[in-house]
Amino acid sequence: MEIDRRAFIASLGGAAAVNLMDHEAKAEALEHYMEEKLDAMVAAQQPEKFPTVAEIEAQIETKNFRRGAGGLFASGRGNMQKLPPMPAKPTLKDFFELRFNPANHVLQSATRAMKTGMSEEVTLACLLHDCVLSLIKPDHGWWGAQLFEPYIPEKSAFAIRYHQTLRFYADDDAGYEYPDQYYRIFGHDYTPPAYIEQTYKMLKNHKWYMEPRLVTVNDLYAFDPNAKVSFEPFEDIVGRHFKQPKEGLGFDNSPSAHMWRTLSRPDQPL
Amino acid sequence: MVKNVLCGVAVIALLAGVAAGQSAGKPAMPGLDATVTKVERAATASLRDCPPGSNTVNATTRPGEQFALVTVAFKVASSFQPAQMKRPSITDAADKKYNTAATFVDVGKVPEFSCTFPFRVPEGTKLKALQIESASYDLTSLDSK
Repeated sequence: MEIDRRAFIASLGGAAAVNLMDHEAKAEALEHYMEEKLDAMVAAQQPEKFPTVAEIEAQIETKNFRRGAGGLFASGRGNMQKLPPMPAKPTLKDFFELRFNPANHVLQSATRAMKTGMSEEVTLACLLHDCVLSLIKPDHGWWGAQLFEPYIPEKSAFAIRYHQTLRFYADDDAGYEYPDQYYRIFGHDYTPPAYIEQTYKMLKNHKWYMEPRLVTVNDLYAFDPNAKVSFEPFEDIVGRHFKQPKEGLGFDNSPSAHMWRTLSRPDQPL
Repeated sequence: MVKNVLCGVAVIALLAGVAAGQSAGKPAMPGLDATVTKVERAATASLRDCPPGSNTVNATTRPGEQFALVTVAFKVASSFQPAQMKRPSITDAADKKYNTAATFVDVGKVPEFSCTFPFRVPEGTKLKALQIESASYDLTSLDSK
């Protein structure tokens, strides 16, 4: 085992403290330090212990919000902040900057889709696939598709709707592994509900299977805390494929206009 | 006699060079040199692209499986032309192919990098070779399992 001399001396209170110790005390301190280091190394090699479904369910009554509440409506970290006002005729970019911000995960996902040469429909789906989590979390694939459907290509909406289902099923050929974060957030003994299994069976034989599958592949690799991403590289794709309403999102009477208004004004009491 | 000895030495040196060449760098594609540096086994694998960033997602094996983690060092020459690259694969002793989830993204952005490719295999699978594009790299000498 390698010992970092500086870290060891610091753990004893610095060089002055070490000078006050006799040889026996120093030897004992070193042995103790090495035991602690060894324990830490062994612990690091142990596979992470994931919670069970029952353990996750037991957490419900320990929180003052439901896990399914959208990011704009609940915070596990302190009080809410006032949101900046939206422009009168908000665009998708405005929502990215003022409501979905920082949107790091979706921007990383779309960046990867673009860099690996995926289609513009898939890249757009990657850019939008989790935006609805600001509004609501359960069934986010279906909610997300509904939010964007009036404005984007059918293939992109299909990819957004069904990435939620395919996230639960590994696909070796496509390069999709079941992520350990799902063991963490759903429980290691979780099995998807029947409607998800039925949807998966439908998707396996669908001609557009790869569209949502590619969203899941990029999804998996888009949790890098150090990645530098921005909306700018996607402005052309958004310009080509996102039908921005001239009245602004929320005010165009589309089937999802109310969802955009709710995202705009999440502090409205009714 | 001296000529024969020299000839023998030259042949040995040549053979040694060929053997070493299997683990030493060879081009995966023009201008991209690859050397397999390590083969390990693990129950979990970090899912990162190649060259790697700091993605935090891992994959975990199921009972009876393990990840074969194949680490490859890459060197990018100035002649390298960036292009989409296929995901690497490995073959076992029976020539069964296994895929990795890791993908090449932005190869050429840094001149040297190292990537660990995870392959989900049945426990104890003996590995034979790694394929990157059309190049093949022997794994038998590095794989102790």
